[in-house]
Formats: sequence, structure tokens, C-alpha cells
Amino acid sequence: MSTGVEKKIAELNKMKAPIVVVDESLDKYDNVIPFPEKHEKMNEILKKTGHPENYLKSK
Amino acid sequence: MHIFRYPLSAGKNSTSFQFISVGPKGNIKKLIYFTPTYYPNFYNLSFGDENPQTGKLDDLIISNNGDSENVLATVVSAVYAFTYKHPDAWVAATGSTDARTRLYRMGLSKHFEKLNEDFYVLGQYDDSWEPFVIGKDYEAFVVKRK
Repeated sequence: MSTGVEKKIAELNKMKAPIVVVDESLDKYDNVIPFPEKHEKMNEILKKTGHPENYLKSK
Repeated sequence: MHIFRYPLSAGKNSTSFQFISVGPKGNIKKLIYFTPTYYPNFYNLSFGDENPQTGKLDDLIISNNGDSENVLATVVSAVYAFTYKHPDAWVAATGSTDARTRLYRMGLSKHFEKLNEDFYVLGQYDDSWEPFVIGKDYEAFVVKRK
């Protein structure tokens, strides 16, 4: 096995992100909101709590 | 402890993922969506089973396929994959029912040690965000890459 391939495998093994196969048939779900009520609930939570970025900035 | 994760596939933008749960109830297609909210770079995570009749996501179904730990580990894996592609994204999760929120909390608690190495993990309690504490009754959760 070449050094380049070994290096690549070592890099892949260190990655915490999984290897993901691209399936373009899933593109149809982009920007689909599957649960509008849940989506609205999160927007309401954010209105009350503010963006969590503000919490991190305050620390 | 290593928990087996199912192989994931995703759309080109890495906002929609799917995997197949394998167990005594058969092969069940699971979907994970990261959908944008009103805030830039702030996404809502939804996951559940694909309804074979409608093709739509059903997050109330209890599939009892004997692999809930593997399913949760795979969802965590999808969060890693999504934030690898979108490193500035905040990912929020809240259940559509109290039981579902408990499920998210269990998943986060189980994977907290690992997640906490790489992510800020916050819980929503009393109308504010605070660092996630295992066992506390949060209504919603957010994570962001450190």
C-alpha cells in the first residue's frame, strides 16, 4: 500500500464525522419543513430565550 | 464503548440524511432533516421513520426494532456530518411530544461526554439557555461546534 493511501486511511480513521454516501434523491427534502408546528415551537422558544449565541458571548 | 452506527446517505447539501434500521421488525427507512429557522445558521433537527405510504417523515411512530441505541448513535453521527459541512451552524432539537423530548434528552445524555469534546451543548430551561446537565428536564437543546 502506498504511503499516500496509508496517510489518507489514517486521516479518515481520525475523523469523527462519518463517511456519508451522497444520494441526490434526498435533495428533494432540502428546505422541506416536516413538522411546521415543531418548527414554530422552536421559533417561539428562540423568541423567549434569545439566540444561544448570546449566552456564549456572555461567558 | 463503541456503539454500531448505521451507514448514512445524504443529499448534496447535507441537510437531509437517511439510513436503514435493521431489526426484528424488518428494514425501516429513517430520515433526519436539518431545517432552517428564522435565525441564520440555526437549524432544527427532526428525525423519524419514513411512512412507506406517503414517503413523509413520521416522528411519532415507535418502531420497536430493537436498535434504539444504534439509531440514536447514528443521529449523533449525522450531527457530526452536518456540522462538518456547516461548521457555523447551531442545531436545535425539541420533541413533538414530551416522550420524544425525553428520547432526545436520553440520546444527548448517553453521548454527552463525546459531544461535549467537540460541541457547546446547551439546554433550554426557564426561558434561558444554560450548559446541558445530565438528568435536567429541558424542553429544547442546541449544539454548536467548538
